Amino acid sequence: MFPDSGAIFGAHEFTEMKVLVVEDEKGLAESIVDYLSREGFVCEVANTFWQADEKISLYQYDCTIVDLTLPDGDGFNIVQTLKKIAAATGIIIISARNTLEDKIKGLEIGSDDYMTKPFHLSELNARVKSLIRRRNFGGNNDMVWKEIRVQLPSRKVFIDEKDTVLSRKEYDLLLYFLSNIDVALTKEAIAEHLWGDHMDSSDSLDMVYSHIKNLRRKILEKGGKDYIQSIYGIGYKFTAP
Amino acid sequence: MKLLEKTSRIYLLASLVIYVAVGVAFYWITTFMIYDEVESRLMVEKRDFETYLQTNNTWTNNSYFVENKIEVVPVFGEFENEATFTDTLIYNRYEQSMDPFRQLTFYTMIGGSPYRVAIRKSIVESYKLIEAISAAMVTFLALLMISMFFFQRNLSGKLWRPFYDSLARIKNFDWTKDKKLEFESSEISEFNELDEVMVKMASKMQHDYKSLREFTENASHEIQTPLALINARVEQFIQSQDLSENQTHWIEEIYHAARRMSRLNQGLLLLAKIENQQFTDQEPIDLAALIIARLKDFEDIITHKNIMVHTESTGSFVKTISPALAEIMVTNLVSNAIKHNYNDGKLTILTGANYFVISNTGHELKADPGRLFERFKKESAQAESVGLGLAIVKQICDNYELHIDYRNVDSLHSIRVFA
Repeated sequence: MFPDSGAIFGAHEFTEMKVLVVEDEKGLAESIVDYLSREGFVCEVANTFWQADEKISLYQYDCTIVDLTLPDGDGFNIVQTLKKIAAATGIIIISARNTLEDKIKGLEIGSDDYMTKPFHLSELNARVKSLIRRRNFGGNNDMVWKEIRVQLPSRKVFIDEKDTVLSRKEYDLLLYFLSNIDVALTKEAIAEHLWGDHMDSSDSLDMVYSHIKNLRRKILEKGGKDYIQSIYGIGYKFTAP
Repeated sequence: MKLLEKTSRIYLLASLVIYVAVGVAFYWITTFMIYDEVESRLMVEKRDFETYLQTNNTWTNNSYFVENKIEVVPVFGEFENEATFTDTLIYNRYEQSMDPFRQLTFYTMIGGSPYRVAIRKSIVESYKLIEAISAAMVTFLALLMISMFFFQRNLSGKLWRPFYDSLARIKNFDWTKDKKLEFESSEISEFNELDEVMVKMASKMQHDYKSLREFTENASHEIQTPLALINARVEQFIQSQDLSENQTHWIEEIYHAARRMSRLNQGLLLLAKIENQQFTDQEPIDLAALIIARLKDFEDIITHKNIMVHTESTGSFVKTISPALAEIMVTNLVSNAIKHNYNDGKLTILTGANYFVISNTGHELKADPGRLFERFKKESAQAESVGLGLAIVKQICDNYELHIDYRNVDSLHSIRVFA
């Protein structure tokens, strides 16, 4: 699936992190596992409620991705069990149900995030990483890649150890890129990450373009390299030139 | 008008008519009886008088002076010889009042010449009797009427109590909840039948609501999951570095089609949910304040398109509405006003008591503005737009009895929502 799977990954901090994917749609589970494995995660799949129940009682996971609608049970119950027996596990709910009640209920019983299907794998990847980072390091570690260093708590960015001032959206964009190094990202995925669901228009794609232009310029100005590669018709990729 | 009030009014009116009729009849009968009695006594006196004449063949008024009871007057000229009863008033010397008398007038021969004789009898005592009887009757009838009125009222109140109880339960019934509609059984079989029918209807409503709700949830899951799979596979596919230009183009189209489909599905399901009234929580929300708050979400794009935003408020527009739907309505309207705006265009938001107007500059409409609220009607050929935004807004307005109108003058578009 990944012809360039030999590429260098930035986020070594996640190697050996264990992720459980609870999803009954086999193709989707496989996609998630492929995508996350490529980022260095060790993934396991449970296609049914009972498989998931068994796995969480036997093994420890750093993060569990749970689909709410399973053929033999309710994903909410898995979240509740996890909270009881493995409180350290980060939980992300992925569901086709997008009602406010479901989202509130999910967060109330202890999940850390709620994503509505269909979602972007790049977004899921970024959220899994951010969650593990928050849980394991209290969000206090720096994100480092090549000459770029991001101080997460203070939201400061250093290129070549030079303080670089980025706008809020440029910062978010850089973080998203750093969570998805060497991955082709669609313009739409970037727009959705930056502005959410309700901004789906050609305007938001223009805005992605202008933010990328600015981010690229700022990195180059401080002596960084041009890591943002455009992919014709699709989007962008953050990669070593 | 309440049922009890209505029956009370009918009862009062009917009993009043009956009692007046009874009263009049009673008065009439009593008067008739008294006259009958007085007249027969007068006839007896007439006979006494004639007997007296036959034996004495003469009459002196002196012998009978009390109260002018008998008046004998000679008659000259023609007369019709018949006995008649008349009512007359005679002056009472002792009490200085005019008293009513019944008078029998007849003609007779005394000593060979004709005389008109009038024998009178006072009926003042009888009038007093009638008055006393009438007064007693009116009092008793009034008392009867009042007591019957209260009795009837009390009785109806008791009889209809199960009905009012059922009514209150039906009013409190919420078909979006699982709680069944239940009634206390009453002694009256009609009410029990009504309750049975209501229980059946209520459980059917709950069942229909639930199955529709489940349908929308399942449909959402069943359609969004394959779309999620397409999305994920496309994302994996674009990671390969040796895609040809054609392949890139195809995969881009697949991606966009899947995204549109997902949006379409979400929009339609949302419409179904609004129509099915699945958004049951309500609270008072200041729509004007909500618009201003939501405008902040669009800061970036407003700056990007360099849109001049002008807001003016003359009052608050507080509406009891589902918070989720209020958000959707406001976000859709603001997003539309920005999406269809020119670069360097204008966006004006006017809010006042019970209305708000969102106006934006944009290309002149070609279609009828009213038709933009229909599903799948869209003016621009923007690929990402599925044409449900305004239909959803309209449906929300319809659900909460809000009015909405769209006006387009040259390049200015205004949507006004008002209560």
